[in-house]
Amino acid sequence: MDEELQLLIFETFSEVFETMFFTVLELPEEAPGKEELACGRFIEAAISYSGGCNGSFLFYFPWELGRNITVNFLGIEEDVVQDRQVLDTAAETANMAIGSLLGHLDPEGKASLGIPQPRLLADFSPETLLGASGLCIFSTDFGLLWVVGTHG
Amino acid sequence: MSFNILVADDSETMRAVIKKSVSMSGVSVGEFYEAANGREALAVLAKTWIDVILSDINMPEMDGMELLEKISEDDEFRKIPLIFISTEASEARQEEARKLGVAGYVKKPFHPEAIKAVLHEVLGKAYAHRLEEKPTEAAGEEIDF
Repeated sequence: MDEELQLLIFETFSEVFETMFFTVLELPEEAPGKEELACGRFIEAAISYSGGCNGSFLFYFPWELGRNITVNFLGIEEDVVQDRQVLDTAAETANMAIGSLLGHLDPEGKASLGIPQPRLLADFSPETLLGASGLCIFSTDFGLLWVVGTHG
Repeated sequence: MSFNILVADDSETMRAVIKKSVSMSGVSVGEFYEAANGREALAVLAKTWIDVILSDINMPEMDGMELLEKISEDDEFRKIPLIFISTEASEARQEEARKLGVAGYVKKPFHPEAIKAVLHEVLGKAYAHRLEEKPTEAAGEEIDF
C-alpha cells in the first residue's frame, strides 16, 4: 500500500472516529509493544467493495476500544453496553470508514460496498498481522486499531 | 403537529443514533418505527402512516436505492419524503437518487446538526400545507418541526 493511500485512509478514518465516536486516531511513533501484541479479546469486522474498483479490509478492534467507541456512539453508560452493540458498532465503523474512503477512491460511484461482517475473536494476537501487506495501525486512548486492506 | 418517522438501517446502533439525533432536532415526533432493510421498511409503510423515512443505502436483502425505487412506483408511498443517510455520497449516486425523487441526503459520518437541517428543510417543504390547514393549532406552538 503506497504512502498516499495510507494518508488518505488515516484522514478518512480520523473523520469517522472523531465525528461519530469523539475518539482521536493517531499514527503511532513506535512499533507495538508486548502488551499490545498480547492475546486477547478482539472484534474483527470485514468489508469489501467491487465494481469500478475492488478491495477488501479487515478491522481488528481490541475489545476495550470497541466497547468505548460504542459507549460514545450511543451516549450510554459503560455498564449497560451489550456485546451485540459492540459488534454492531464495529461493523458500522467499517461501513462508514470504507464507505468514506470509497468516496475518494471511486468518485464516480461505480463500486458497490458490501455488507460488513463482524465476529468476536476470543483469543487473538495481533502479532499475526505484523508483516501483512496493507497493514495500517492507529493508536487511540483505548488501544491500537489494526486494519489490513487491499485496494486495486 | 407531530411526525411519524421510519428509520431504516441494518445497524441497530446506527438506528439508535439517528433516533437520538432526530429527538435532539426539535422535530415533534409522534412515533418512531424501525426497519433493518428495504423490505422491512415497505412492510411498515403498508400498515402504518409514516410522514418521513430516514434510510441507509447499503442494506442486505433490499437496499435503499431499491426501496426508493419501489416507493417512487407507488401512488401513495411516493408522497412520503425519503432522506438518505449513507456513506455512499458520490455525486453519481446522489444524482441517481435525485432522479428517483429522494428528498434529502446526509453523508455518514454526520453531526446531529446535519440531521436537524435536512429534517427541517424536507418537512417544511413536504408538509407546509398541513400547517396552513390548521392555523389555530400551529399558531400556539413554539416549534412544530
